[in-house]
Amino acid sequence: MPVNNTPTETEQLIMRLYQSAFPAVARYVSKMGGSFDDARDVFQDALVVYYEKAAAGTLELQKSEQAYLLGVAKYLWFKKFKDGKYDTSIDEFEGLDLPDEAEPQPMADKLMHYLETAGQRCMQLLSAFYYDKLPMKKIAVLFGYAGERSVTVQKYKCLEKVRETIKQNALQYEDFID
Amino acid sequence: MRTLLTEIQAIDQHVQGSAAPGDKLLFDAKLLLDAELPQKVQWHKQTLALVNQYGRKNLRGVISDVHNQLFTQPEHQSFRQKILRLFS
Repeated sequence: MPVNNTPTETEQLIMRLYQSAFPAVARYVSKMGGSFDDARDVFQDALVVYYEKAAAGTLELQKSEQAYLLGVAKYLWFKKFKDGKYDTSIDEFEGLDLPDEAEPQPMADKLMHYLETAGQRCMQLLSAFYYDKLPMKKIAVLFGYAGERSVTVQKYKCLEKVRETIKQNALQYEDFID
Repeated sequence: MRTLLTEIQAIDQHVQGSAAPGDKLLFDAKLLLDAELPQKVQWHKQTLALVNQYGRKNLRGVISDVHNQLFTQPEHQSFRQKILRLFS
């Protein structure tokens, strides 16, 4: 079940999933002795797993999306119970094939902040393509380009721009990732 | 497209594994011959890592907004009560 949504559609999807699937997750976490905040944390992580798998087209629903979200949340809760603390990275989720490049790089915060402000439009366009995996046609409409060709050119220009920014920050960046 | 953009396109297809077989061979050869190319591939991977990090951060923002709507707005009162009752 692919997602490939615009931001508005994503919000609608999240709202629908929250209303349909959160009650069962909250009931489970409550039964296991967890708090409201615990339920919120595991459910929100489960939503990220759901979304990324759906966007990548690798989501396989055995039953319903509610059952899937409950299954992921139970797994995340189990990890919490086992470890005694909730710091499980969702990248560890079994069966979640996140590409290597999605590994968190927490030390790159400074660079991220710069890109969010100075290069926001490029980051939005690139994440629509690589993270949300929207089709080019949809990206063209969303960002006001004449057609797929213009978006493709813009995408490569943006990649170049972000890459140059990373390069310029290279010395600091190497400090970050050490 | 400018040469530079064509190169970025080739690097992107290499990293995504989406290059056609002929292009793949050509790129593999260039990787051996062009001393700077492997470094450019690394930059590209870092670029995509940041883009994905940015995308996930935005998604978490949307999720958090929805949560706040459900747990503050009057029209979601019955949903809210149903959940909060579980933890009282």
